[in-house]
Amino acid sequence: MSELAIRADRLTKRYGETLAVDGVDLAIPQGQFFGLLGPNGAGKTSTIHMLSTLIRPTSGEAAVMGHSVRTEPLAVRRNIGVVFQEAALDRTLSVAENLRFAGALNDLPRREVLRRSAELLRLFGLSERRDHVAGALSGGMRRALDIARGVIHQPRLLFLDEPTIGLDVPNRRAIWRHIARLRNELGITVLLTTHYLEEAVDCDEVAFLNQGRIVRRGNPRALIEQLGAYIVEVETPRPKDLAEQLTPRLGPALVEGDRLQFCCNREPAELAALQAELAVTAQAVHWRRPNLNDVFLWVNQQDASQKRAA
Amino acid sequence: MILRPTFAVLEREVLKLLRQRGRLLSSMVRPLLWLLVIGAGLGAVKAAHGEPAYQTFLVPGVLGMTLLFGGMLAALSTVNDRESGVMRMLVIAPIAHYWIVLAKALAATCAALLQAALLLVILALTGYLSAQVSVPLLVAGLIGTALASASLGMLVAAFSPTLDNYATLMNLVIFPVFFLSGSLYPVQQLPYMLRLVASLNPYTYGVDLLKHAAVAGATATHDPDFALTLDFAVLIGFSVVALGIAAARFSRDNANEPLIHRLANSPRA
Repeated sequence: MSELAIRADRLTKRYGETLAVDGVDLAIPQGQFFGLLGPNGAGKTSTIHMLSTLIRPTSGEAAVMGHSVRTEPLAVRRNIGVVFQEAALDRTLSVAENLRFAGALNDLPRREVLRRSAELLRLFGLSERRDHVAGALSGGMRRALDIARGVIHQPRLLFLDEPTIGLDVPNRRAIWRHIARLRNELGITVLLTTHYLEEAVDCDEVAFLNQGRIVRRGNPRALIEQLGAYIVEVETPRPKDLAEQLTPRLGPALVEGDRLQFCCNREPAELAALQAELAVTAQAVHWRRPNLNDVFLWVNQQDASQKRAA
Repeated sequence: MILRPTFAVLEREVLKLLRQRGRLLSSMVRPLLWLLVIGAGLGAVKAAHGEPAYQTFLVPGVLGMTLLFGGMLAALSTVNDRESGVMRMLVIAPIAHYWIVLAKALAATCAALLQAALLLVILALTGYLSAQVSVPLLVAGLIGTALASASLGMLVAAFSPTLDNYATLMNLVIFPVFFLSGSLYPVQQLPYMLRLVASLNPYTYGVDLLKHAAVAGATATHDPDFALTLDFAVLIGFSVVALGIAAARFSRDNANEPLIHRLANSPRA
């Protein structure tokens, strides 16, 4: 059996009264593209910080590339790259100087740093900016530089904490292209967190984190498929009545204000008939393919109803 | 190995100093103002009472001042590094966290020495440096004072979560350390309480060492206040203890948790 990139057993972090991470188990093989998903405050960042040895777990244990995060923090840090939510860059130094500084902190010889910098800057389209001050770069270019900074020492495992947060759509796409290139060209294991759930659909595996616990895990496409063929959305002034009326045919409803959602495996023709039937009682009826946001919403819905049942 | 990361921290500090022309310029103007303006003014008053040249007495004091301000400000920039991204680069590097404190202290020492070297050139060119300067003692005095100032800065930085007010820092830390030393007056002539406080101030012994090097034997009032061995012992002892406390404080389990926690809950997220 090949060594796991990350193994976590009952990893827990408590800040005073708040339980930020509550007994998380992980087993991530090398080379995997793993997504840790969930809303803000779900415990994603705390998990990454424990795995990268920046904070100590309150309880539980984790090994990164076979090294314990508790007893061998330096060995762990030698094997990982971390891109934080906020840039780990010196805004007063140039692009090239930032990479040189990061390389030297990882004990790389100057010549090696220069070679890898040139390569990474080319990969990320930053070659022409190498002498620009980091503080003068646009948000997207700064994030790209920060990712280059995170992989200058060729780590075997890269943590990306919300890599596309605060970026506009073109820049978000560019960052995803950069990450794909790193995975293809360096074969690097990537653990990423994001609350833009739809961005994680290309991951090999995802885990949904909510209030510090993993509530669902699996291959993102398989999770979407399991949910059903279509999400039917009904807008109505009387959501409660309509939910009761439709549940026998479409399954349980997810109510959000005056909107109802069902996930079902009906044929489009049946749904068109339903649309005609509801033309009087509902303001609008749509159906569409489900995505990871729906998976997350429905997982929470099931959780809540299970809790009610218990 | 730890050498390359340490050198990188030193290089960055020196590079930043050389780029911040304003900081470098003010580190020259401040001591020269004291020497050429206040020194000349007070010197005139003292000369009227038949006392020897005050400006000569001030030379070690202004050299010390450059080291104190340069070393402390560079060390205190650690607090700003925490706010900017640099500390994130340092804490994720495969180096022990206490070593970050030592590397930053070394970097601040170098930054201070660089400024003092520049001032020395100016003093030599303007004739304020007498010919009987003891070079080995001067070098030892500069290094010792720079290291003690940097260590004091690291100690303050380790206990300051944020540094939002430059003026507070100047008035509450740096100026008291400077005034409550032998920089501007012989410690032995101070009133009892002030003499006591000055004797407890490690920076006093740095200036005293510089007096041994630069002005000893000129006249009685210019003489150093303490023995050479005591100066060395205090400077080294203080630096070791201060850096030990700062490193311990910095590498305790949750040293970066306020930072990390803030990142996790940043409003942008």
